[in-house]
Amino acid sequence: MGEKVKSHSRRIMFSKQIYAAEAVKLAAYVFSDKADIKLASSAGGVEAEVSWEGKDCAVAGEFANEVLNQQCRLDLAVKNGKVANMIVTKALLSASGETVKKRGKQ
Amino acid sequence: MAQNLLKIKTKNSVAQTNPPHFYWREVDGAYLISNDSGCHAWLDAAAFKRFSAGTLREKDKAFEELSSKGFIRDRLDFADLAAKWKSKNSHLSCGPGLHIFVMTLRCDHKCLYCQSGAISLSAKGADMKWPAAKKSVDFAFQTTAPGLTIEFQGGEPLLNWAVLKKTVSYARKKEKLSGKRLNLGLVSNFSRMTEGYARFLLENEVSLCTSLDGPADLHNRNRICSGGNAHVSVRKWLRYFTRRNTGQGAGYRIFKPSALLTVTKFSLGRAPEIIDEYAGLGLEDVFIRPLSPIGYAKNSWSAIGYTAADFVAFYKESLGYILKLNRKGAVIREKMAAMLLEKIIGFSDPGYLDMRCPCGAAVGQIAYNYNGDLYTCDEGRMAAWEGDDLFKIGNVFRDSYKKAVSCSTARSCVAASELHLQPACSRCAYSPYCGVCPVYNYEAQGSLWGNMPANERCAFMKGIFGILFSKLKNSKDREILQKWVKK
Ligand code: SF4
Repeated sequence: MGEKVKSHSRRIMFSKQIYAAEAVKLAAYVFSDKADIKLASSAGGVEAEVSWEGKDCAVAGEFANEVLNQQCRLDLAVKNGKVANMIVTKALLSASGETVKKRGKQ
Repeated sequence: MAQNLLKIKTKNSVAQTNPPHFYWREVDGAYLISNDSGCHAWLDAAAFKRFSAGTLREKDKAFEELSSKGFIRDRLDFADLAAKWKSKNSHLSCGPGLHIFVMTLRCDHKCLYCQSGAISLSAKGADMKWPAAKKSVDFAFQTTAPGLTIEFQGGEPLLNWAVLKKTVSYARKKEKLSGKRLNLGLVSNFSRMTEGYARFLLENEVSLCTSLDGPADLHNRNRICSGGNAHVSVRKWLRYFTRRNTGQGAGYRIFKPSALLTVTKFSLGRAPEIIDEYAGLGLEDVFIRPLSPIGYAKNSWSAIGYTAADFVAFYKESLGYILKLNRKGAVIREKMAAMLLEKIIGFSDPGYLDMRCPCGAAVGQIAYNYNGDLYTCDEGRMAAWEGDDLFKIGNVFRDSYKKAVSCSTARSCVAASELHLQPACSRCAYSPYCGVCPVYNYEAQGSLWGNMPANERCAFMKGIFGILFSKLKNSKDREILQKWVKK
């Protein structure tokens, strides 16, 4: 006889003052193999219902951490996006053998 | 240089306003600061407070050092800092240099941590056939890198000797026609090595690398060989190739053989014995590698895995022991430390694909599976073996070089491993020398970018950097570590 699998469910509200809906959606995607996540928008932001089975009680907290991780990434993209894009573009162009087209020249 | 030095004298000799962008980390009450050019310095708590507030004075003890390292805004030597950054990141100017050929999936070993998806000796259809090998060489030579390394791996590559031999000869011919510098390497468990194979490999300047996990009981526990004692053949052939390296003089270069040490739970607490095994065989490098929860190792993690703290303690003990041997006159170094030090104190790019920004996936290396399928790296190929083809970037028969290295998978891996976009890394004092692995992140945390505060690989790296920087603070250890750079 196997042990009965325990079901858990938690609702977490992500305030729009802090979190973009995109951050919550990205985190839900990352967690899609660990939990069922239903998202609903409300006046205050995005509400996530996190449901999972098993002994691990930390899943909802880990999901909230992932949302924070995603929000920080989005914020960083605004702050560091320019330098990061230059580095990424340089690496990809060097590998493919293409050169960066100078602005204003055909 | 002088014209590049922006120097503004102020009346009250507070020569600094806000410091330029820097990273910092507190270690045992002292502060390590670093910048994108790769310079670093230590400050005590009081000096750090003044430095970060922009009130450091010229008469401050640390001022001159910080000026020369690009930490004082009005004393920046842009030419010097840019040259350091460029040299440390020289990989950004060339394409994939490492080309890993999986000659067969078959293997006579069943290693506890095998990531490579090795299958039994009798399996059919698991060897690279000559058309795929030839096409792979042609593909590899299209790299934009000025030189390339083709590394033969498996499974056990010697099990596909006929094709391996033909591929070596073809690649050497191609080298002459292309004008590109070619290095050839073989990663083998040596169980199938013969005098004849060895002669051919040496004559064609193929460098040799194997795995050595320590003394016989430990090695054989980790690396189970179906046809005998794995440790005996490794020792035998390491000695053979070392003798040949010492002898030289045959009209071709004979490289010193090298070995990789994979740390499992069974290695913990045995660092000195393991290092002695290397030193006793005359090996000059010990490459201490943690396990990754990828491939077969993912399933056997509970039996052989450990925490980051366990690994870091092992690494610290090993490095301490290696330094002790150095003080006694032995020539031996830890390879990961040596490569990281090349960046930290040498300001150069050691070609360490796992530890660069962005990582080497597709733009620094390509893995060629036995059937011609192309992957971002060998780890990406291993993930595919577990059923997830996310890291596949093409096939040598169907796709062009350009298409493979600029496909969406390659672009995603490159973007995901750009550290300025990683929340924790973008503030980490070790980021000028570090790198993240999208395959590891994906396997361990479910996304290419991962989440560093909860990432075990990041914890390994933080531990290793912490040990290295602390050692660099000690003048006796620093003297030895400096000799490891550009050896
Ligand atoms: S992976 Fe970890 S150690 Fe490396 S830069 Fe990022 S936060 Fe720092």
